[in-house]
Amino acid sequence: MTKRISKYQRFKMMNPIIQFFKFLYLSLKIMVIVAGGHGGTRRVN
Amino acid sequence: MAKIVVLGAGISGHVAAAHLRRKLSKEHIVEVVSPNSNYQWIPSNIWVGIGRMKSKSILFPLKPLYKKKHINYKQAKAVAFYPEGDIQLENPYVEVEYVVGEQKGKKEKVTYDYLINATGPKLNFEATEGLNPGQNKTFSVCTYNHAEHAWEGLNALIQQMKQGKKAKILIGTGHAKATCQGAAFEYILNVEQELRRHKVRDMAEITWISNEYQLGDFGMDGMLLSYGGMTMKSHEMVEMIFEDRNIKWILGAGVQKIENGIAHYENLEGEFKTENYDFAMLIPSFSGHGFKAYDKTGNDITEKLFKGFMVVDADYTSKPYEEWTVQDWPETYQNPTYKNIFAPGIAFAPPHSISKPRKSKNGTEIFPAPPRTGMPSGITAKLVADNIIDAIKSGKNELQHKGSMGNMGAACIASAGFGLTSGSGISITTFPIVPDYKTYADTQGRKLGKTFASIGLAGHWLKLALHHAFIYKAKMKPLWWLIPE
Repeated sequence: MTKRISKYQRFKMMNPIIQFFKFLYLSLKIMVIVAGGHGGTRRVN
Repeated sequence: MAKIVVLGAGISGHVAAAHLRRKLSKEHIVEVVSPNSNYQWIPSNIWVGIGRMKSKSILFPLKPLYKKKHINYKQAKAVAFYPEGDIQLENPYVEVEYVVGEQKGKKEKVTYDYLINATGPKLNFEATEGLNPGQNKTFSVCTYNHAEHAWEGLNALIQQMKQGKKAKILIGTGHAKATCQGAAFEYILNVEQELRRHKVRDMAEITWISNEYQLGDFGMDGMLLSYGGMTMKSHEMVEMIFEDRNIKWILGAGVQKIENGIAHYENLEGEFKTENYDFAMLIPSFSGHGFKAYDKTGNDITEKLFKGFMVVDADYTSKPYEEWTVQDWPETYQNPTYKNIFAPGIAFAPPHSISKPRKSKNGTEIFPAPPRTGMPSGITAKLVADNIIDAIKSGKNELQHKGSMGNMGAACIASAGFGLTSGSGISITTFPIVPDYKTYADTQGRKLGKTFASIGLAGHWLKLALHHAFIYKAKMKPLWWLIPE
C-alpha cells in the first residue's frame, strides 16, 4: 500500500466545515457548467 | 391534435414525456410505452449494491404518476417499427407487446405523429460466456434488482471474511467493448470503504479489471483536468486514489468468459490470462434491442432506422481515429429518413467510440464503447421534446434546439464511499463530453476550468443531494422543471 494522500490532504477532504463551503462552491460551479447551455457544432451556411 | 409516443421510461423517456406534457395542451396526447412498472434513479444503484440504501428509496411506480399527470401509459415492450404504416393502417405505428396482466403477450399497433425512441441499451450479458448476474459469483449493479443481489453476495462474503476467510474481489468491465466504467469505478471504491467499515479490509485483495488503455479513461479518452490548483491527467488522479486505497488494476483487458470464480480475458499484448475471484461485479456490454422495421408493403427497412442503436443525424462515415471530429456527433437526434422519429439518451447509434480504438496483437478490439450518462440523456431528451413542441405549435420543423455531446458539459459525481460524515465523492465535470481536439488543441480536447475534479466529503453530499433532487423532479412535484437536467 502506498500512501498517496497525505494526512493534511485527508483532513481537508473530510473536514465537515471546509467541505460545507466546498459543497456550496461545487454546487454553483457544476450548475454554471451544466446549465450554462449547450448547442450544435456544425456551421450552418 | 398530435400524438407523441415515447418508448421507454428511463431518465431520457421520462424527461421527454414530462416536458411534453407540461408544455402541450391536453388536446395533444402524450403516451409512454415501457415494459418497466417503476421509474428508477440508476445512479444510486451503487448504494443499493453495498446495502446502504434500499431499492424502494430509488424507485417509484409510474402508473399513478402518469394517471395524475394525464400521460397515457402502456406497460408493454416495443417489438417492430412501421414508420410508414402498413397496407391496412395509414398512420405510422409501433407494434408493442404487453408484458403483464391479462393482456400479457397481446400485441397492439400504437400509432403516432411523433415517436421518441428512448429505449436505452440492452444489457448484453450473453455477449460474455458465463456472465449472468447472480451466477458464477458475478454480479451487476445495472438495475436495482441486480444491485440487491450484488449486496446479498457481498454481504455473504463479508460474513465469511469475519470468520477469517481471505477473499479476492474483482470489479470492472465484463466485455472487451463494455462501457459505463464510471459505475464500476464508484462501486469498487464503495466496496473498499464498506470492507473497512466492517473491519475486514485486510482480508480482501481488490482488483480493478477494465478494457481501458489507461486508468481514468472512462470511455471518454481520459481527460486533462484541474485538480487542487494543478493540472493533472485523469489517469494520474485515479492511480493516486487506487494506490492510496490499495486497489490493484488490470488494464486493456477484454473479458471473454466467466467460470465459477474465474474470469478469462485477453489483453492488448494478445495474452490469454485468468483472474480468480470470490466476488465480482462486471459491467456487461450494451447493445441495441434488435428491433426490426418495415415499410408500407412489409419490406425490411431495419437499416434505415437502426445500426444496432437508432440511426440519427450523426456522420456514420467510417474513418480513422485521427479524422474524427466533434461534428460527427448528432445535434438533434432526428432520424434522417423519418423526420418524426427521434432517439435521445442511450438509444441513438453513436458515430464511433470516444476513446481511441485499440486492438490486441490477435486483432481483438479492446476499448470502451462511448458512455452516455444521465445528464446528457436528460439534456438530449429535453431538446428533442422542445423541438417537437415547437413543431406542433408552429407547424414548422425547424429544429431550433440543438445539443451535441461535443458542445455540452457533464458532471459525474462518483461516489467513493457512503456516510454523512465518513462518505466521500469524486466530483468531475467535463466540457465538452466528446473532446474537441481542434478548439481545445492544447488541453487534450477539453476546456480547463470547466473540466475539473475534486475529492472529498462534499462530493458525497452532492451526490446525495442530486439523488433527492432528481427523484423530486422525476415525481413531477411543484416547480420540478426548475431543476436542470
